[in-house]
Amino acid sequence: MVKKRELFLFISLFFLGLFFLYLYDYIKQAQDDIFTSIESNKMKNISYLFKNIEENLVTKNRVKDSDTLVKLLSDTKSRQAYEEHLSLLLTPSIKYIYLLSKDKKGRYRFLLDASKTDKANFYQKFDVKEKEYQELYRTKSPQVIRQNNIENLFLTYLYPVKVDGEVIAILSVDITTKIKNVVLELIKPIETFFVVLIIFIFLLMIMSIMQIFHYFITRKKIFTDLLTQLYNRNYLHEITPMLKLERYSVAMLDLDRFKVINDTYGHKTGDFILSQSAKIFKDSIRDSDILIRYGGEEFLLFIYDRGDGDSALRVCERIRENIGAHLYSYDNHDIRMQVSIGVHEHPSLEKNITQAIKIADKMLYIAKSKGRNRVVVYDEKSKSTKYIEEKDIDFVKEALQEERVTCHYQPIYDHNSKKILKYEALVRIIDNNEKIISPAYFLPGLKHTNIHYKLTQRILSIVFEKFKENSSHVSININFSDLINIDIENTIVKELQNNKNLASRVTFEILESDEIENIELFKEKIELIHSLGSKVSIDDFGSGYSNFRTIIDIEANFLKIDGSLIKNIDKNEKDFKVVKSIVLFAKEANLKTIAEFVHSKEVYDKLQQLDLDYMQGYYIAQPLEVLEVEKNLFQDAFSQ
Amino acid sequence: MKYLLIYLLSALLLHASGENHQVKIIEKIISEISIDKKIVIWSDNKKILSILENNSMFETTQRCNSATVIVLESKDTLPRKCSSKHIFVLNYKLLSEIPRSFGALFWKKGRPNIVILEPRVESQNIKITKDLEPYLEERVW
Repeated sequence: MVKKRELFLFISLFFLGLFFLYLYDYIKQAQDDIFTSIESNKMKNISYLFKNIEENLVTKNRVKDSDTLVKLLSDTKSRQAYEEHLSLLLTPSIKYIYLLSKDKKGRYRFLLDASKTDKANFYQKFDVKEKEYQELYRTKSPQVIRQNNIENLFLTYLYPVKVDGEVIAILSVDITTKIKNVVLELIKPIETFFVVLIIFIFLLMIMSIMQIFHYFITRKKIFTDLLTQLYNRNYLHEITPMLKLERYSVAMLDLDRFKVINDTYGHKTGDFILSQSAKIFKDSIRDSDILIRYGGEEFLLFIYDRGDGDSALRVCERIRENIGAHLYSYDNHDIRMQVSIGVHEHPSLEKNITQAIKIADKMLYIAKSKGRNRVVVYDEKSKSTKYIEEKDIDFVKEALQEERVTCHYQPIYDHNSKKILKYEALVRIIDNNEKIISPAYFLPGLKHTNIHYKLTQRILSIVFEKFKENSSHVSININFSDLINIDIENTIVKELQNNKNLASRVTFEILESDEIENIELFKEKIELIHSLGSKVSIDDFGSGYSNFRTIIDIEANFLKIDGSLIKNIDKNEKDFKVVKSIVLFAKEANLKTIAEFVHSKEVYDKLQQLDLDYMQGYYIAQPLEVLEVEKNLFQDAFSQ
Repeated sequence: MKYLLIYLLSALLLHASGENHQVKIIEKIISEISIDKKIVIWSDNKKILSILENNSMFETTQRCNSATVIVLESKDTLPRKCSSKHIFVLNYKLLSEIPRSFGALFWKKGRPNIVILEPRVESQNIKITKDLEPYLEERVW
């Protein structure tokens, strides 16, 4: 994709150059035409004069052959007379006029020489080798010799002196370059102008070629990722306007547990894995596909629809299998890798490429959360995905800018003491229609984005501000990536370090997440919360991968049992058993237990049979903008 | 003959380019003659002598006395003691003025011309090759 401007310039210059070359050639031809015209004009005049001289010389003197002519002109007087007569023809442009005759040995000899300079003696030999002399004797017609390198002669005109049709001598005239020079002088400025112009155009053409060449070189550098030699994100920006999405599927690829590789084996090994993986990706796709290193261990693939049955899913499965089958050997380590892939097969259905990539990224997230090493294809008909997609980053960004982010608070109830233990802060966005939007519609799309961190910061500010003014306790949801974000950490430390009272009333509910791969870092952050005097709760316990050892190690204060285990506990005996086990474990680990999703009296009653500490749910109280008080609990439970 | 023609033609083409080509023709002409002594060249034209000295197959001398062949440009510069040597002149007129001159190379109307005087060549016991025969003249005209 050469820049059109440079290409246009080059083609224009090329044709302009051709045009001027044509003009130059035309001028040169015109110059030759002028010379030919001068030549023929001159020859015509001279021919006429020579004819007279020939007649005078031959007819009057009754010359029969060359011998009688030699005899006639051997007489000095008559020779002088003829030479004087011929000398009248001399002009600044006619330098020499002489009469030559061929002797018996075929050599040419001067019979007359009317020249003012370099005059030859009578019968002196004249060495001439041009074929035109022989030609004159053969054809018996005048000949013209174009002189190129003889002194300043332009041309020589040979006129045959004939008797009875036989050539007996040659009248020769040497014309100087004077006229030619005059013509050349006249034409020279135009010629020079065109030569300069052609050189200039030629230089411009070279410059534009160099520019195009330079463009390709820099383009390669700008658009290539040095490590993997794949295209980088700059290239994505470059091709975005030209990319016909209807011909492609979009896939987002991410190497599983790559951070572990980096942490365990070092960055050099990580780089090696990346470059090798890029090679495997390239070998698994075709030239018509576009592979981009999207960032870190993430790759973006545009799979061209070839219409040959090799679907995007098959291409992605091939990539996944090839990565899984490859043994990465580096620095005496043999490493196996896996890749998770999210695919959007019909990106053209989205409003733009960014949207399509975002969906492929969500599918990748799903692939990761489902256990990695798999390909997840986006189902356009799935309403839930669509719904989430509707409230995207821009929606949250605008809400943050327009301060439409707020928090609702749901009581966490101590059913033993009939008191509210604390409130869980739950984020809400008030949309442009004053409708309150729940986080389920916008949070999934924010994962790992800067907006997510900004949103968390805003929630912290709102909550801290509200609870500074009262004595109630509050729980704030936070995930691991938030916790390791330096800005968020600074906000927490800044607010709580100097307000021990507030700090002691804050509980951070850490979402159980598969991102907690760096356990040491996780522990470090939990210790920081403890050091500030705040409490830690493990959220959604039982929903995922929870590591009991880690739960004990981090000395969490609360364990919130996941709603999926609670909501059907009154009907599902298995769930009851699981929750019972969790409660027992929590007691042993000295953790307070909270059951969430208590949405009915049946659930509430069933949970009473267990030794749970606290409960939370719509049956008790729904989240409200204000802090609910005990007397209002159980009033509108699950009425909505 | 063929080579001499080529020389003449090249001299004709390159006449304006200096004395080098003139010397080449002179050298070629002298190489086409043989005398009873070793050919040692002297010239009153120092440039020609210098070119011959540096590039020629012939021996040259700075002293006219030691020379066997003289390349003469001007009658006035011919030392009397050398007037009996084989003289090759660079002007047609000198052929008349210097009786010992056996040949000439000169420019007539922009064209190089060679004249070898047959009677003088014979009287001086100079032998010429066939290549020079087309340039033989009975007399100076």
